[in-house]
Amino acid sequence: MSFREKTAWITLLAIVAVSLMYWFHMPNPFVPGPAPRVLHAMGASLAAYLIIELASWLLLRWRYPQDARAPCDERERLIDLRALRVAYYAFVVTAMAGIFVTLHLAGTGPVAVGMAVFMGFVLSQISKHAARILLYRRGF
Amino acid sequence: MAPTLVTNCIRRLRFEHGEMTQQQLAERIGVTRQTVNAIEAGKYSPSLEVAFRIAEVFRARIDDVFLYNRGPATRPAMDGAPCE
Repeated sequence: MSFREKTAWITLLAIVAVSLMYWFHMPNPFVPGPAPRVLHAMGASLAAYLIIELASWLLLRWRYPQDARAPCDERERLIDLRALRVAYYAFVVTAMAGIFVTLHLAGTGPVAVGMAVFMGFVLSQISKHAARILLYRRGF
Repeated sequence: MAPTLVTNCIRRLRFEHGEMTQQQLAERIGVTRQTVNAIEAGKYSPSLEVAFRIAEVFRARIDDVFLYNRGPATRPAMDGAPCE
Protein backbone atom coordinates (compact mmCIF):
# COMPACT_ATOMS: atom_id res chain seq x y z
CA MET A 1 0.00 0.00 0.00
CA SER A 2 1.46 3.37 -1.00
CA PHE A 3 1.98 6.17 1.51
CA ARG A 4 -0.77 8.27 -0.06
CA GLU A 5 -3.23 5.41 0.02
CA LYS A 6 -2.52 5.06 3.73
CA THR A 7 -3.16 8.78 4.23
CA ALA A 8 -6.41 8.44 2.26
CA TRP A 9 -7.54 5.64 4.59
CA ILE A 10 -6.65 7.69 7.67
CA THR A 11 -8.46 10.78 6.41
CA LEU A 12 -11.54 8.78 5.43
CA LEU A 13 -11.75 6.99 8.79
CA ALA A 14 -11.12 10.24 10.70
CA ILE A 15 -13.87 12.07 8.80
CA VAL A 16 -16.35 9.21 9.25
CA ALA A 17 -15.58 8.88 12.98
CA VAL A 18 -15.77 12.62 13.69
CA SER A 19 -18.89 13.20 11.59
CA LEU A 20 -20.69 10.27 13.28
CA MET A 21 -19.77 11.78 16.64
CA TYR A 22 -21.01 15.16 15.41
CA TRP A 23 -24.35 13.94 14.02
CA PHE A 24 -25.14 11.98 17.19
CA HIS A 25 -24.28 14.83 19.56
CA MET A 26 -25.18 17.94 17.60
CA PRO A 27 -27.90 20.26 18.86
CA ASN A 28 -31.28 19.66 17.22
CA PRO A 29 -31.51 22.16 14.34
CA PHE A 30 -35.31 22.01 14.36
CA VAL A 31 -35.55 23.28 17.91
CA PRO A 32 -35.24 27.07 17.95
CA GLY A 33 -32.11 28.05 19.76
CA PRO A 34 -29.01 30.15 19.41
CA ALA A 35 -26.88 29.42 16.33
CA PRO A 36 -23.63 29.56 18.33
CA ARG A 37 -24.44 26.13 19.86
CA VAL A 38 -24.27 24.57 16.39
CA LEU A 39 -21.17 26.55 15.54
CA HIS A 40 -19.50 25.33 18.73
CA ALA A 41 -20.34 21.71 17.85
CA MET A 42 -18.95 22.22 14.33
CA GLY A 43 -15.82 23.89 15.73
CA ALA A 44 -15.23 21.08 18.23
CA SER A 45 -15.67 18.45 15.51
CA LEU A 46 -13.28 20.28 13.21
CA ALA A 47 -10.70 20.52 16.01
CA ALA A 48 -11.09 16.78 16.79
CA TYR A 49 -10.66 15.94 13.10
CA LEU A 50 -7.53 18.09 12.78
CA ILE A 51 -5.98 16.51 15.89
CA ILE A 52 -6.68 12.94 14.68
CA GLU A 53 -5.43 13.75 11.18
CA LEU A 54 -2.25 15.46 12.38
CA ALA A 55 -1.41 12.74 14.94
CA SER A 56 -1.96 9.96 12.38
CA TRP A 57 0.05 11.78 9.74
CA LEU A 58 2.96 12.31 12.15
CA LEU A 59 2.81 8.63 13.12
CA LEU A 60 2.86 7.55 9.46
CA ARG A 61 5.69 9.96 8.69
CA TRP A 62 7.70 8.59 11.62
CA ARG A 63 6.98 4.97 10.56
CA TYR A 64 7.66 5.48 6.82
CA PRO A 65 10.03 8.48 6.53
CA GLN A 66 11.29 7.66 3.04
CA ASP A 67 7.79 7.24 1.55
CA ALA A 68 6.62 10.44 3.22
CA ARG A 69 9.41 12.47 1.63
CA ALA A 70 8.79 11.12 -1.88
CA PRO A 71 6.90 13.59 -4.08
CA CYS A 72 3.60 12.63 -5.75
CA ASP A 73 4.09 10.94 -9.09
CA GLU A 74 1.90 11.47 -12.17
CA ARG A 75 -0.48 8.59 -11.38
CA GLU A 76 -1.09 9.85 -7.85
CA ARG A 77 -1.77 13.36 -9.16
CA LEU A 78 -4.28 11.97 -11.67
CA ILE A 79 -5.97 9.92 -8.95
CA ASP A 80 -6.25 13.07 -6.82
CA LEU A 81 -7.78 15.01 -9.72
CA ARG A 82 -10.33 12.28 -10.45
CA ALA A 83 -11.24 12.04 -6.77
CA LEU A 84 -11.63 15.84 -6.65
CA ARG A 85 -14.08 15.66 -9.55
CA VAL A 86 -16.11 13.01 -7.70
CA ALA A 87 -16.10 15.24 -4.60
CA TYR A 88 -17.29 18.25 -6.61
CA TYR A 89 -20.32 16.39 -7.98
CA ALA A 90 -21.05 14.87 -4.57
CA PHE A 91 -20.97 18.33 -2.99
CA VAL A 92 -23.25 19.90 -5.60
CA VAL A 93 -25.82 17.10 -5.36
CA THR A 94 -25.85 16.74 -1.56
CA ALA A 95 -25.75 20.47 -0.80
CA MET A 96 -28.54 21.26 -3.28
CA ALA A 97 -30.63 18.34 -2.02
CA GLY A 98 -30.00 19.42 1.57
CA ILE A 99 -31.01 23.02 0.89
CA PHE A 100 -34.12 21.91 -1.02
CA VAL A 101 -35.23 19.53 1.75
CA THR A 102 -34.57 21.93 4.64
CA LEU A 103 -36.33 24.83 2.90
CA HIS A 104 -39.40 22.64 2.37
CA LEU A 105 -39.57 21.39 5.95
CA ALA A 106 -41.65 23.42 8.31
CA GLY A 107 -39.91 25.15 11.15
CA THR A 108 -36.41 25.21 9.73
CA GLY A 109 -34.26 28.28 9.73
CA PRO A 110 -30.88 29.37 8.46
CA VAL A 111 -29.15 27.10 10.97
CA ALA A 112 -30.68 23.97 9.40
CA VAL A 113 -29.80 25.20 5.90
CA GLY A 114 -26.23 25.83 7.03
CA MET A 115 -26.05 22.36 8.52
CA ALA A 116 -27.35 20.86 5.27
CA VAL A 117 -24.56 22.57 3.33
CA PHE A 118 -22.05 21.42 5.96
CA MET A 119 -23.35 17.86 5.60
CA GLY A 120 -22.88 18.19 1.83
CA PHE A 121 -19.28 19.23 2.38
CA VAL A 122 -18.62 16.31 4.74
CA LEU A 123 -20.18 13.81 2.33
CA SER A 124 -18.15 15.25 -0.55
CA GLN A 125 -14.94 14.73 1.45
CA ILE A 126 -15.96 11.17 2.30
CA SER A 127 -16.66 10.44 -1.37
CA LYS A 128 -13.35 12.06 -2.39
CA HIS A 129 -11.24 9.85 -0.13
CA ALA A 130 -13.35 6.76 -0.89
CA ALA A 131 -12.76 7.43 -4.61
CA ARG A 132 -9.02 7.81 -4.00
CA ILE A 133 -8.89 4.46 -2.19
CA LEU A 134 -10.97 2.79 -4.91
CA LEU A 135 -8.70 4.13 -7.66
CA TYR A 136 -5.58 3.02 -5.79
CA ARG A 137 -7.06 -0.43 -5.12
CA ARG A 138 -8.62 -1.19 -8.50
CA GLY A 139 -5.87 0.42 -10.49
CA PHE A 140 -5.81 3.46 -12.70
CA MET B 1 -11.30 -1.45 -14.26
CA ALA B 2 -10.66 -2.48 -17.86
CA PRO B 3 -7.02 -2.88 -18.90
CA THR B 4 -5.65 -0.28 -21.28
CA LEU B 5 -4.96 -0.94 -24.97
CA VAL B 6 -1.28 -0.31 -24.27
CA THR B 7 0.61 -3.37 -23.14
CA ASN B 8 4.26 -3.68 -22.25
CA CYS B 9 7.24 -5.95 -21.74
CA ILE B 10 8.54 -4.33 -18.60
CA ARG B 11 8.43 -7.48 -16.50
CA ARG B 12 10.55 -9.41 -19.00
CA LEU B 13 12.94 -6.49 -19.45
CA ARG B 14 13.40 -6.18 -15.69
CA PHE B 15 14.40 -9.80 -15.39
CA GLU B 16 16.73 -9.49 -18.36
CA HIS B 17 18.43 -6.56 -16.64
CA GLY B 18 19.77 -8.35 -13.60
CA GLU B 19 16.38 -9.16 -12.11
CA MET B 20 15.76 -5.50 -11.41
CA THR B 21 13.03 -5.04 -8.80
CA GLN B 22 9.99 -2.81 -9.29
CA GLN B 23 11.35 -0.58 -6.53
CA GLN B 24 14.70 -0.13 -8.32
CA LEU B 25 12.95 0.71 -11.59
CA ALA B 26 10.60 3.09 -9.78
CA GLU B 27 13.53 4.95 -8.21
CA ARG B 28 15.26 5.29 -11.57
CA ILE B 29 12.24 6.71 -13.35
CA GLY B 30 10.94 8.83 -10.46
CA VAL B 31 7.63 7.18 -9.64
CA THR B 32 6.38 4.96 -6.82
CA ARG B 33 6.68 1.16 -6.81
CA GLN B 34 2.88 0.96 -6.90
CA THR B 35 2.85 2.96 -10.14
CA VAL B 36 5.38 0.61 -11.75
CA ASN B 37 3.21 -2.30 -10.63
CA ALA B 38 0.09 -0.66 -12.14
CA ILE B 39 1.92 -0.02 -15.44
CA GLU B 40 3.19 -3.62 -15.61
CA ALA B 41 -0.27 -5.00 -14.90
CA GLY B 42 -1.76 -2.86 -17.68
CA LYS B 43 -3.91 -0.90 -15.24
CA TYR B 44 -2.31 2.43 -15.99
CA SER B 45 -0.83 3.93 -19.17
CA PRO B 46 2.11 6.14 -18.26
CA SER B 47 2.76 9.57 -19.75
CA LEU B 48 5.05 9.79 -22.76
CA GLU B 49 7.80 11.18 -20.55
CA VAL B 50 7.70 8.25 -18.12
CA ALA B 51 7.48 5.82 -21.04
CA PHE B 52 10.66 7.32 -22.51
CA ARG B 53 12.39 7.12 -19.12
CA ILE B 54 11.50 3.42 -18.84
CA ALA B 55 12.81 2.75 -22.33
CA GLU B 56 16.00 4.64 -21.47
CA VAL B 57 16.59 2.50 -18.36
CA PHE B 58 16.43 -0.66 -20.51
CA ARG B 59 18.38 0.99 -23.37
CA ALA B 60 15.52 0.04 -25.68
CA ARG B 61 13.29 1.87 -28.11
CA ILE B 62 9.94 2.93 -26.75
CA ASP B 63 8.09 0.58 -29.11
CA ASP B 64 10.20 -2.32 -27.87
CA VAL B 65 8.80 -1.69 -24.40
CA PHE B 66 5.23 -0.60 -25.13
CA LEU B 67 2.80 -2.02 -27.65
CA TYR B 68 -0.47 -0.57 -28.80
CA ASN B 69 -3.15 -3.18 -29.47
CA ARG B 70 -6.01 -2.12 -31.67
CA GLY B 71 -9.41 -3.60 -30.94
CA PRO B 72 -10.45 -5.27 -27.70
CA ALA B 73 -7.98 -4.92 -24.88
CA THR B 74 -5.78 -7.95 -24.39
CA ARG B 75 -2.77 -8.56 -22.26
CA PRO B 76 -0.15 -9.95 -24.61
CA ALA B 77 2.62 -8.94 -22.22
CA MET B 78 1.21 -11.40 -19.72
CA ASP B 79 1.09 -14.12 -22.39
CA GLY B 80 4.53 -13.16 -23.56
CA ALA B 81 3.69 -13.27 -27.28
CA PRO B 82 4.63 -9.79 -28.64
CA CYS B 83 7.51 -9.43 -26.21
CA GLU B 84 9.45 -12.44 -27.40
